[in-house]
Amino acid sequence: MADVVVKGISKYFGEHRVISDLDLDVKSGEFVTLLGPSGCGKTTLLRMIAGLEKIDKGDLFVGGKRYNDVPAQHRSVAMVFQSYALFPHMSVYDNVGFGLKIKKVGREQIKQKIAWALSMLNLDGLGDRFPKEISGGQRQRVALARALVLDPDVLLLDEPLSNLDTTLRDKAMEELKRIHGQVGKTIIYVSHNQVEAMTMSDRIALLNAGCLEQYDTPRMVYDEPRTLFSASFIGSPVMNVFNGQIEHEDDMMGVSTPIGFFIFDKETALRTQSIAGSEVIIGVRPQNIARADHYAARRYSDTMVMVTVELVQSLGDRSLVVGRGENETIIRFLVTREDDIRPGQQLPVFIDGRKIHLFDPLRQTNMLSK
Amino acid sequence: MDKPHKGLPVDSLKYYVWLSALLIAVFMVISPLYLLIKYAVSDSSSINTGGSPIPLWPYHPTVRTFLYLFSDRQFYSVIINSICIALGTVFLSMILGVPAAYVLARYRLPGRKLIVLGLISVRLFPDISSIIPIAEFFIRLNLHNTYAGVILAHTLLALPYVIFIGMSAFETIPGDLEQQATVMGANRFQIFYSILLPLAIPGLAAAALYTFLLSWDEFIFSYFLLGLGKISTLTLYLKQKLTYSPPQNLLATISVCLSLPVIMFSLLLQKYMTAGITSGSVK
Amino acid sequence: MACAWTQKIVTRIREMWPLFPAAAYLLAFLIIVLAYLLGLSFSSTIEGRPLFPTLRPIHAVVASHGFKEALVNTFYFVIIGTPLELIAGLFLALILYRSFFLRNFIRSLFCIPLAVPALVTAILLFILFDFPGGHINHILMGKYGHLPALIHTPLNWRGTKVLALGISLLGKVWRDTPISMLILLAGLNAIDPELFDAAKTLGAGFRARLWHIILPLLIPSCATVILLRSIEMWKEFIFPFVLAGKYSLLGTLIESLYNDWGSSNEAAVVALVLVVCIVITTFTFLIIMEIIRKWLWKGMSRGQTA
Repeated sequence: MADVVVKGISKYFGEHRVISDLDLDVKSGEFVTLLGPSGCGKTTLLRMIAGLEKIDKGDLFVGGKRYNDVPAQHRSVAMVFQSYALFPHMSVYDNVGFGLKIKKVGREQIKQKIAWALSMLNLDGLGDRFPKEISGGQRQRVALARALVLDPDVLLLDEPLSNLDTTLRDKAMEELKRIHGQVGKTIIYVSHNQVEAMTMSDRIALLNAGCLEQYDTPRMVYDEPRTLFSASFIGSPVMNVFNGQIEHEDDMMGVSTPIGFFIFDKETALRTQSIAGSEVIIGVRPQNIARADHYAARRYSDTMVMVTVELVQSLGDRSLVVGRGENETIIRFLVTREDDIRPGQQLPVFIDGRKIHLFDPLRQTNMLSK
Repeated sequence: MDKPHKGLPVDSLKYYVWLSALLIAVFMVISPLYLLIKYAVSDSSSINTGGSPIPLWPYHPTVRTFLYLFSDRQFYSVIINSICIALGTVFLSMILGVPAAYVLARYRLPGRKLIVLGLISVRLFPDISSIIPIAEFFIRLNLHNTYAGVILAHTLLALPYVIFIGMSAFETIPGDLEQQATVMGANRFQIFYSILLPLAIPGLAAAALYTFLLSWDEFIFSYFLLGLGKISTLTLYLKQKLTYSPPQNLLATISVCLSLPVIMFSLLLQKYMTAGITSGSVK
Repeated sequence: MACAWTQKIVTRIREMWPLFPAAAYLLAFLIIVLAYLLGLSFSSTIEGRPLFPTLRPIHAVVASHGFKEALVNTFYFVIIGTPLELIAGLFLALILYRSFFLRNFIRSLFCIPLAVPALVTAILLFILFDFPGGHINHILMGKYGHLPALIHTPLNWRGTKVLALGISLLGKVWRDTPISMLILLAGLNAIDPELFDAAKTLGAGFRARLWHIILPLLIPSCATVILLRSIEMWKEFIFPFVLAGKYSLLGTLIESLYNDWGSSNEAAVVALVLVVCIVITTFTFLIIMEIIRKWLWKGMSRGQTA
């Protein structure tokens, strides 16, 4: 178990800078997810920690030791790959025991360790099978067992669940969390799926085009997105984004958007007084827009906006409504299933003034960050 | 998911080991060719050195041997023979092979693999073993020492390749084009002639070129079928020159003439060669 | 009932007829080859009268010293040449595999020996291994500056049995190595590169990766190479013909029996023997591969707790 410190790391592929001056520190025993869209550099970063890619600039420390020039086979880091990379010509037993055999561990010890790993991952009895004879979910667990049995300081996981179907994935996520609790290793996990990140991580490192957008706990990333990117990437359905201006209207502080004037709550009003008149980018999550009916109690910081329903998509227990407001602006919000809404209907909605995110149009950073 | 570029962590020592292995390999591949060319342009003092080391580059490089060769009437007739036989082989092989390739590529025949296997089964016999029966048979038919005999034999060698390469050439053409044409009322021959053939020309051209080269530098069959007669091919000419303590530069010059077309066109045919190799590994 | 059947056959024929000329051509030759090989091997002439069937040619061949020599020589040729080609091919394939720069160009370069006609390669070796002159002799006698002298008198390459067959082998291996290289390269490329990444993170250095991953996964390709190239070694004719005229391999023996001695019957017998040798080799090899495969499976699950 060790901590991982990434300091000012950059990586170039030819002229193209894939990772720019990244700083990251993962505490010992933490479960951190590197989250981001394709091409953001998360896998590259993971591979650099594993030793499979060279570090062009910056330093990598694992457990206090500088790892830049340490070759991959000498690092106390084990990795699970997206396609599992099980050795097809070896049985499950030999696959799991591969690293131990390389380290010349004694035969009896190998047997014990493999037995432990197999039982922890519910793979008992599969020792003699070959990779092509077992299911995808089992293969994924064999890959995990193979990495865990070496007792590494850091465990790296490269999108290990993306090849599993959804039912298996939920179970696998539970298992991973359980294993993390059991063995207490430092885990760095790469994913483009925010649900995985939000569910399992202690902290999320959000990456975009090689830069670290935000590094926080899941709750913080959701509630207080540091950048527009964070806000739009995290949260499902995707956040509503408008351009606007902070204004003073009828003695109320708020922001004018194409779809209407949104009132701020007291706290936001206080903090935006000094920047009245500035151009901003506004973000409101669909979850924070509610149908204005007898259900919703009107808070003083709610703004009512009239929309014409365009589309209704059922999400199971709730429905996503795509509506059109003033100036032909699209706005998305959620309603509970009992509601019976038809396209073409005129619907009033409440915008929750406490949950309005404001972003600086130039640098796209959250203007309300504490 | 972002896919990292294939950048290996370049370990200095490993890199230099690889580099030296590469250079050794390149040297082993290239040096014979270099020597061939060197001998082809050598003057006699560079060859008959009477004990002192043979120079790595001739003292007075000359094209005299080439000129001598090209002034020899027999040399010309031999080259023309080789060309004629090769062309004849191409003609016959394509006439037989292309339609066969078409059928095999286009129709879902039961046991297609078995048919293909059966067709190439005659080529499973070693050349040197099958030449004896064929030579005897041709003597019986008076095909011995004739152009026709050699062309027939070379066609036998080339036909499986033409079929194989032709099959892959036809298979790369999408079937919808033919279905379109059938819907529009064309019959099979028209489809073949105006649609398939033009599109398959690159692949078929490769097959033709491969056949030409195969006939051009074929030795074993030509030797047995023409060895004692009046017709000679370039390969036989080269072999004949070998028997009476020949000057080495002459041998090299003829060899260069023999190899040049093959090397040039082989480099062009790289792509089709790999397909031919895997089928040729049966040979 | 019969009508539907004949209908089917008729449609089939109408579809397939362009195939018939080529098929007939190849089948005809197949029949000729088989018929004559068998026919000639079992017939003979005594005082001008033809005799069939008879075992005379076979007796003559088997009894002759030349045949036994040729068989033994060819056997050694196969045994030594096949592993050589495998190793050389592996060498080239590994070089190409680790090359990420100018890969296609180097691959074309390595394929050049295939493009050179075998006769030309043989003649080149004829020139190089000349006696008493010739580059090789001069190099070995240390006549080129700083290279040490390994021998004092020039070697008669084409005149000594071992040396003559040796350079024939050299020529054959040089010429055909690109084929084994291509087969092995295909096998190497089929290995998922992520397996190497995984092995690295599990602590495997270069030698461990070579031994535990590359070689085991390359066994099928190596098997293919060994089978195909050993067949080629049996059949070899051109190189020994040019370079080792006096010392026979089965191929050159056939030629000398046919051309020099005019005994087509005995030549046919040897030709048949050659085919038999190839068939035996193929079957033996396939059987050995089966045994190895079974042993490998067993070995995997040996001594493990379920």
